[in-house]
Amino acid sequence: MLSCSRSLLSQTLKRKRKAKTKNKTKFKINKNVSRKQKFIAKNQQIEEEEEEEEEEEEGGGGFNLKSSAQSNSHGVQPLGNLYFNPCSINSRNTGLGNLQILSDELVLEILGLLEGTRLGVLATVSKSFYVFTSHEPLWRNLVLDNLKGRFLYNGLWKVTYISSFYPSFDVPRGTSFSGLRVRDFYSDYLFQSWLCANLEMKPEWLERDNIFRKSGISIDDFVMNFEEPNKPVLLEGCMDNWDALGKWDRDYLVNLCGAVQFSVGPVKMRLEDYFSYSDQVKEERLLYLFDPKFAEKVPTLGWGYEVPVYFREDLFNVLGNERPDYRWIIIGPAGSGSSFHIDPNSTSAWNAVIRGSKKWVLFPPDVVPPGVHPSPDGAEVACPVSIVEWFMNFYGATKNWKKKPIECICKAGEVIFVPNGWWHLVINLEESFAITQNYVSRRNLLNVLDFLKKPNASELVSGTRDRINLYEKFKNAIEASFPGTIDELTLKAEEKKAQQKKMSFWDSVTDSKVGAFKFSF
Amino acid sequence: MASTSKKIMFKSSDGETFEVEEAVAMESQTIKHMIEEDCANNEIPLPNVTSKILSKVLEYCKKHVDAADDKEKYPDELKAWDADFVKVDQNTLFDLILAANYLNIKSLLDLICQTVADMIKGKRPDDIRKTFNIKNDFTPEEEEEVRREYQWAYE
Repeated sequence: MLSCSRSLLSQTLKRKRKAKTKNKTKFKINKNVSRKQKFIAKNQQIEEEEEEEEEEEEGGGGFNLKSSAQSNSHGVQPLGNLYFNPCSINSRNTGLGNLQILSDELVLEILGLLEGTRLGVLATVSKSFYVFTSHEPLWRNLVLDNLKGRFLYNGLWKVTYISSFYPSFDVPRGTSFSGLRVRDFYSDYLFQSWLCANLEMKPEWLERDNIFRKSGISIDDFVMNFEEPNKPVLLEGCMDNWDALGKWDRDYLVNLCGAVQFSVGPVKMRLEDYFSYSDQVKEERLLYLFDPKFAEKVPTLGWGYEVPVYFREDLFNVLGNERPDYRWIIIGPAGSGSSFHIDPNSTSAWNAVIRGSKKWVLFPPDVVPPGVHPSPDGAEVACPVSIVEWFMNFYGATKNWKKKPIECICKAGEVIFVPNGWWHLVINLEESFAITQNYVSRRNLLNVLDFLKKPNASELVSGTRDRINLYEKFKNAIEASFPGTIDELTLKAEEKKAQQKKMSFWDSVTDSKVGAFKFSF
Repeated sequence: MASTSKKIMFKSSDGETFEVEEAVAMESQTIKHMIEEDCANNEIPLPNVTSKILSKVLEYCKKHVDAADDKEKYPDELKAWDADFVKVDQNTLFDLILAANYLNIKSLLDLICQTVADMIKGKRPDDIRKTFNIKNDFTPEEEEEVRREYQWAYE
């Protein structure tokens, strides 16, 4: 009976930590005892040798691997390790033949065009292809393309694919089987991919908490101090009368609507099947349940919550059923979330955590987060890195910036206000259920109208099928329900502009170094 | 007043210069961004691309710009031209992938990747190895183990 081999890196980390007496890191130490894999004698020898190699590795002490980290990398090592092994060849290259001059991403791009059986055959061609074809995102795409949401996740995407299309084949399942261990395969891309899939959030990424927290403030107070100046705030105590708080948990939701299809990334899935996936999966970019029609599908869910008083002025209401998508239920496991983006249509948003907890990182509209590259017209936001990779590679850059991001952890019962135009990134620290809504109030009406009026509205406007006409429709509906409002607001804005010199958000803050904010009025 | 469309100049790694119309150069997203940022007024050096490959790339871009209007009317014609375009040796094929990736020309990248994928489809392992000059580095025991793991793909 093969037993699971815990990641050798974490074993090494444990040993290293004990050796480092000075280093005062607050790592969460994985207490699981590793069990050695019982392979044929040859493979065992390889394992021991690899362990020695990794002990010499620098920088390995920086990461917390999940205690359930699998060795599905088949022994892939980062490219840097090649330099520790002077006589070593990179089996990546010998096994690719003429294809070796291509980068890992390009090889995977080609493999992404192959069907399952082709990948399976390719896996037997060489060790290099064996490793490349085991890249989980390839199999995930095949499953989602062919089965959409009608899959039953089975430990790995590859296993899910095989057991769905070749049910009679006895797939070696579970964590006890990790296949062939390949020597001398060095690849930064594949190693990074595996690392990000198995990484936990580092404690120092969670330390900074500099958002304003308010409890029981008046609506006027909120509007004057946060909505009008467009500043984020975390509000406590406005979910106290929510039925959902304390009631919504796994069992309740499954009982209520386990068989209902919800929007999950590019597909729709039964809620029960989604939980089955989220319980088992280990990957870098997790599928996230984000459904804009949850209250229509399951009215009881809609009755579980109330829009907090601060956000009840929602002018898109005038469009009735023709308003763009505006409310979502959000469900996802630890590690799921959204990488940096700005909310659509220039709306503001609130996000309420019903169960679980979310880490937020926010940047004001005039500060592009490190690692993010928006196209000039705003139509495209390229943030090619995953959430974990962003923390690994870019979060540190914000430490020495004058313009630090606003950060916080939002827990059950708390609501965060995300002002319009603000960049934000969210990651669930544990399985979380939340409700979020986007809205337009008078403070934001002109911005939204301007946005909808843009010539490339057809690309930018989201959440509705009627992108081009939305501007006209919305404007007319506002005029009908609130005649004169637009003109009034336009006049006010012009007066304001004439009086004040336009200050950026950061000019209005007097002490950004410390990370705590003081308003200048 | 006659309008002269702007020309863009490239210099390959081996020192040859190429001049094309702006519209052709803009098939490359990389160059397009440079033009938008006003950084394409002088010769653009491409140290990663030889003249042989660059001329092929520009040939592709020119054809696709010229055929843009005809694409809807005569899609088969362009497809046939593309099929002919990729009839080159493997080295050229992979160099084209690298160039298309470097210059960010999505349609060309997709075309060549598909070509290579088609070279893999339908082949048995030995033929794949022969085609791409790949060494079988499995030991006999490993090969058996891997074959067993992927037996389903052979049925």
